[in-house]
Amino acid sequence: MTSLAQSPLAGVGRLVRAVAPSTPLIVFLAMFAYLGMASSNFLEPSTMALVLKQSVPTVVVCLGLATVVMAGGDDVVVGGIDLSVPATAVLAAAIIADLVSNHAMFIGYALLIGVAAGVVCGLVNAFLVVFFGMTPLLATFASSTAFIGISKVVTASRRINVGDPLIVWLRDGSIFGVPAGVICACLIAAVFYFVLHRTRWGLNLQAVGGSRDAAEMSGLSAARFIAQSFVIAGLVGGVASAFVLARGSGWTPGTEENLMMEMVLATFLGAAFSPRRIVTLWGAVLGAVLVSALSVGFGSVGIDIFWTGCIKGSLILIVVASAALSRKVNA
Amino acid sequence: MVLNIRQALVTSAVLAAALGLVATTSISPSWSDEALSLKGKRIGVAVVGTQHFWDREAFNGALDQVKALGGEPVPVDGGRDNQVHADNHDILLANKVDAVISILGDAAVEPKFKALKDAGIPVFTVDHLSPYSINNTTSDNYYMGTTIGRYMADALGGKGKVAVFNAFEGALRICAIRTQMWKYVLQDYPGIKIVQPELAEAFANAPEDARKKTLDLLTQYPKGTLDAIHVGCWDQPAIGVVQALQETGRTEIKVTALDAGPDTLEIMAEKDSPFVANVAQQPRKIGATSAMNVARYFAGQKLMPQTFVDVVPVKGPEEAKKVYEQLGYGKLH
Repeated sequence: MTSLAQSPLAGVGRLVRAVAPSTPLIVFLAMFAYLGMASSNFLEPSTMALVLKQSVPTVVVCLGLATVVMAGGDDVVVGGIDLSVPATAVLAAAIIADLVSNHAMFIGYALLIGVAAGVVCGLVNAFLVVFFGMTPLLATFASSTAFIGISKVVTASRRINVGDPLIVWLRDGSIFGVPAGVICACLIAAVFYFVLHRTRWGLNLQAVGGSRDAAEMSGLSAARFIAQSFVIAGLVGGVASAFVLARGSGWTPGTEENLMMEMVLATFLGAAFSPRRIVTLWGAVLGAVLVSALSVGFGSVGIDIFWTGCIKGSLILIVVASAALSRKVNA
Repeated sequence: MVLNIRQALVTSAVLAAALGLVATTSISPSWSDEALSLKGKRIGVAVVGTQHFWDREAFNGALDQVKALGGEPVPVDGGRDNQVHADNHDILLANKVDAVISILGDAAVEPKFKALKDAGIPVFTVDHLSPYSINNTTSDNYYMGTTIGRYMADALGGKGKVAVFNAFEGALRICAIRTQMWKYVLQDYPGIKIVQPELAEAFANAPEDARKKTLDLLTQYPKGTLDAIHVGCWDQPAIGVVQALQETGRTEIKVTALDAGPDTLEIMAEKDSPFVANVAQQPRKIGATSAMNVARYFAGQKLMPQTFVDVVPVKGPEEAKKVYEQLGYGKLH
């Protein structure tokens, strides 16, 4: 009698176990190979510079989401997730645009108020998740809708142009030939890396995300770290608002939709690059750059925008399904 | 004296010859257009979205005309997202196209136009006035605004309360022209009052968004307290407005808007339709004209800052049917 371990089904299981975690990587590499061949200038330095420049707002919001996932664990349903970071960024951007363009406020004060609004958004999420015990996915989906609603109230749902020199510098400026936005995003990522990987607080936060029970047993308050991660994500949303304003030369309704899709795809795609297939800061940053490269590449090749949306949506499915499958076969 | 007469005769002959030349060149645009070509040129065509008839037709009109002139179009579609549309211009810049036709878009495209211009790539716009554009091809927005103002005033008998969807007056110059011209006409009808605050329609998914907002508006304004709903710049929201009026049985409220593609002409052509007036544009012709202007530019011809394409006012169901046929959308019964 053939045992299950020797059956063809077991062989399929082994194959799935071996291939599943690498599927997103394989799919992405195949896509890049295709784009490199189909577009004459996709791999040129000017296109790569464009990719980096366009990725900036996504990179920044990904840092916020990555922090929440690192604190809450990478189970999409019961772990840490914050879908509201783009909405927070758009709300903060609305407030800043309104203050600067409609009330002639100094950009420095307006940015401070915008970032403070982002922190308040983070506190709301922390309250919903930790105090009320709501599922992060639902809580942040709901708060995201509310934040967008407030942004429409602030702006009367109308575009606000922002021509402040600081915002224009973030959009067009450069230091030694490197775009200012890219440098700022690198600096923010470096600060995040230091705080999350080089401080006791950051290591404890990761410990909570790795195993909530083990962290609790060693005296760490999981609730405190999870709440703090949401506040940090809110702060990040506030900071990202400056890049959102720079990218759009002002506030435009609807910016959050694409940003949210790219953030989710980038952050969970990033996990595919980590040796342990978990969400990491650098993975999220790399994921954001790759997602931006995909957008630029699809545009260069002339792929229909509806197909682009379809492909990106499918990629999110592949990335999340691959992570779920990996967890299942490892369990 | 003889000399003077002779001089006068010579001068007259030269003038006549010159006028003849002018007349010949001005009456034979087809001859000069036949010589136009975009052969060997890669023309970027950026459109804000292709979900709506107007956008899609202007886009396809430009693409087809670029191909007809022997050029290679490089299309990019913003998916009805102004930010994606603006970013798409970066892709065209990286692609080193020979010229760009940009259809719609808000102020987010301005720095992109500047970058293209700085790189020596001429920009031609459709429905977007910009200091960086060589030429903007558009409808006669001034006429559209005043005409719809007059038609609405007539439909209301010169008095009543009107709500207006007006989200883009500050974002798009063409919308500012259309809405402000409409308001300009209403100044002469003191019996017509505009409900405050004005409504703001969504840029994407406009019909459904306008449907919900109209349902809210109707709750706020019970029967007898609202007489018309106008959409200031386009007519996709009007589809949702009409749906809401029909759902609530409030079809006594008149609807007016601008664009008149086949989808909204069909609604207007229905018996007792509340959608009473519109002004039809010719988006395919607008896109194609912009592509012709690119070819004219490369041929060294002088272009005006703006090229205006004719519009057709539409009042009532019978005219809607007539215009539907006239613009080649088919036949309505």
